[in-house]
Amino acid sequence: MENKDNNKTPSTEESKMQRRYDNNKKTPSPKHLQQIEEDNVREEEDFLDEFQCSVCLDLLYKPVVLACGHLSCFWCVFHSMNKLQESRCPICRHLFNHFPSVCQLLHFLLIKMYPIAYKRREREVGEEEKKIGHFSPQFVHHPFGSHSGEEMDFPSNSLHFPIHPQNKLCSDGCFSEEKEPSSLGNFAKAIAHREDNMKIVPSTLSSRSEGTTNAAIENCNLIRTESGHGIKTQASVADLVCAECKKLLFRPVCIANLVSSVPCKGFLGVKSVEVCIQMGSLSVCLVLEKFLEEHFSEIYADRRQVFAKQTDCSSSAHTQQLGTQSSSVSATVYSSWIFGNGPEVHIGVGCDSCGMIPIIGKRYKCKDCSEEIGFDVCESCHSNPSEVSGRFNQQHKPEHNFEIEQPQCFGEFIQMLNLDHSDDSDDDGNDFPAPVLSDDALQDGEDSSNDLSDVSASVLSVDVAPDQKDDPNVS
Amino acid sequence: MIDFARVQKELQECSRDVEASGIKVAPKSDNLGRLTGTIPGPVGTPYEGGTFQIDITLPDGYPFEPPKMQFATKVWHPNISSQSGAICLDILKDQWSPALTLKTALLSVQALLSTPEPGDPQDAVVAQQYLRDYQTFVGTARYWTETFAKTSSLGVEEKVQKLVEMGFPEALARSALESVGGDENLALEKLCSG
Repeated sequence: MENKDNNKTPSTEESKMQRRYDNNKKTPSPKHLQQIEEDNVREEEDFLDEFQCSVCLDLLYKPVVLACGHLSCFWCVFHSMNKLQESRCPICRHLFNHFPSVCQLLHFLLIKMYPIAYKRREREVGEEEKKIGHFSPQFVHHPFGSHSGEEMDFPSNSLHFPIHPQNKLCSDGCFSEEKEPSSLGNFAKAIAHREDNMKIVPSTLSSRSEGTTNAAIENCNLIRTESGHGIKTQASVADLVCAECKKLLFRPVCIANLVSSVPCKGFLGVKSVEVCIQMGSLSVCLVLEKFLEEHFSEIYADRRQVFAKQTDCSSSAHTQQLGTQSSSVSATVYSSWIFGNGPEVHIGVGCDSCGMIPIIGKRYKCKDCSEEIGFDVCESCHSNPSEVSGRFNQQHKPEHNFEIEQPQCFGEFIQMLNLDHSDDSDDDGNDFPAPVLSDDALQDGEDSSNDLSDVSASVLSVDVAPDQKDDPNVS
Repeated sequence: MIDFARVQKELQECSRDVEASGIKVAPKSDNLGRLTGTIPGPVGTPYEGGTFQIDITLPDGYPFEPPKMQFATKVWHPNISSQSGAICLDILKDQWSPALTLKTALLSVQALLSTPEPGDPQDAVVAQQYLRDYQTFVGTARYWTETFAKTSSLGVEEKVQKLVEMGFPEALARSALESVGGDENLALEKLCSG
C-alpha cells in the first residue's frame, strides 16, 4: 500500500491504530470490541454529536448532503439507497433519486478538526473498499491546511485519477433534482465555467484576500475545542467560506461539491440557489448551519442581519419552508415503465454525472472505461457533457465514446434476484441487491446462462463481485 | 457483513440510559448476531408490571436490513402471535430505516403494546376477541402477563422446583436456568428443545 504519511500522528499512535485495525479484522466479540472502544476513547478526539453519522454511528466519513439537508457517509447513503425506485433519507424518509456527491468542504473540515479519528475511518473504509473492489471518490488535500504534507492513502489497486484543479472542483456535475432534465447539464456547465471563482475548497489565503473577508475577524474567531489531550481541533472562517461571496457561509447549501449561502444568488450562473430550494430539490445543510451558529455565533448573527436587510420579508419567509416538497420524479414513473407505458427505467444503474439512480430515460454507457463498475450517464448529462470522473473513481475521459444501452427487462431482473439468493452464501449477505451505479453486467447477463450467476452477483451486490472475479487482486 | 462496531455502540448507548427507558439489550453469545431485548410492559395497559423478553436476530445486511424480532415471552396481543411471538410492526419490515437502532425499534414494540391495531392483526383470534369482547381480552392479556411475564419475582430455588414439578431432572433444570440467566420461560424452552 502506498503510504506517504509524514503527518503529525506520532509513530506510536500509528502502530496502535494499525493494531486496533488488525484487531477489527478478527471475529468481533463483545469484550473485544469493548477494548477497541476504550482505545478509541483514549486516543481519539471526541467529535461533536452533529458529526456522528446516524447510520454507522461513527464519525462521518466523506459526508454526503442529501436533498433534505441531512448528512451521512458516502457508503452509508449508497448502501441505504433503493435500487428499484426512489430512495428515502434514512433520517427523515424524504424521497430522493440522485446520489449526491461528497461535500468536500465538510470532508476537509473534518480532516482538520479530527485528524486521528478521520484517519482511522479512512483506514477502515479503505480496507473495506479494497475488499469490495469499488472505491469512493478521492480528493487531494487542502494545500494550506494543517496537514499540508499529508496524502490520502490510496489503495494500491485504486484507479487514482490524477486530479488537477479543474476537475477537482467540478468533478461530479450537479446533484440537485431538477424539474427540467435539460438543465441538469447546464448546472455542470455552469460549474465548469465558473471554476476559477470557486476556491472554497481549498480556501487559500490568496482567495480570501480577493474577497472582502476581514482577516482580523478570522484570526480572533478561531475555535479551539479542548479534549482530554489539550487543544486538538480548530476550524476557522477560512474553512467555511461561501463559494460565491467568499464570506462566512450563511444558511449553507451543498450543490455538487460546492457549498454556498442561500442568499447568494446567481451562484450557479444559470439557476440561483434559491430557485433550487423553491423547487424543493435542495435544503440548507442542517448540521453545518448548527455548527456555524454555535461556533461562529457573532459573525453568523452579523451575516443574518446583513441578509435580513437585503432580502424582503416575503421571500425570506418563503425560503423558511425548505425541503418540504416531494421529489421531482413521480413514483408512478417507475411502475408505469414495467407495464410498458412510461419512460425506460434502468434498474440498478445510476448516472455517474448527476447521480440519478436508477436512470430514467435513455442510458449512455461508456465503451472505453475499463473499470468493472462501468461508466454511464443519463440522457441530459450526455447532451450536456461535463468534466467528470466517475462516482466510484473511474478514469473516464471526455474523449471516450458512448453507446446507448437498452434497459433490462423487469422479468429478467427478478430472475437474477432469485439466482442471487441461491448462491449468496459467501457474500456479504445483502438479501436485497445493493444499488450499483453504472454496472455493465446487466447486459452481459443476456449472453449466456453460464455467466448468469456470476453476473447477477456483480450486478446485485457490488460486494460480491471481487469474491468471484478478482480474488488474486483482492487478498 | 453485520456492522459490529455499530452494534457495539448501540449496546453502550442503550446501557447508558437503561434506567430512564427500562429497555435492555444484551448479547446472547459472543458473536453479537443474536441478542435479547427486554422491555417493561407499559403502565396503564394489561401488560403493566410484566417484563417481556424479545429475541433479536441481526441479518447480515444490518443496519441496512431490519433486525428480526420475536417475543420470547408469551403475550396476548392482536399484533403479536400468541403461538410464535411474531411481531406485526411496519418498522420491522418495509418501513425500516438504517437510522433506527435496536433501542428505538424496541421502543416502538413497547408502544405497540399500548396501542394495538386489531385492524391489521398478526393473531386473528386475539384480534377478534379484542374487537368483540374487549373486557375478556383485557382479562386474558392480564392473566398472560401475570403468568408469563412476571416470573422474575420467584427465587431460583422456586424456579427449579417448578421445572422439577413439570418432570425435568433437577440438575438439568438448574443448568438450563443458569445458561439462560435465570429466565424460567427460556429455561423451559431450552429443556423442551433438548
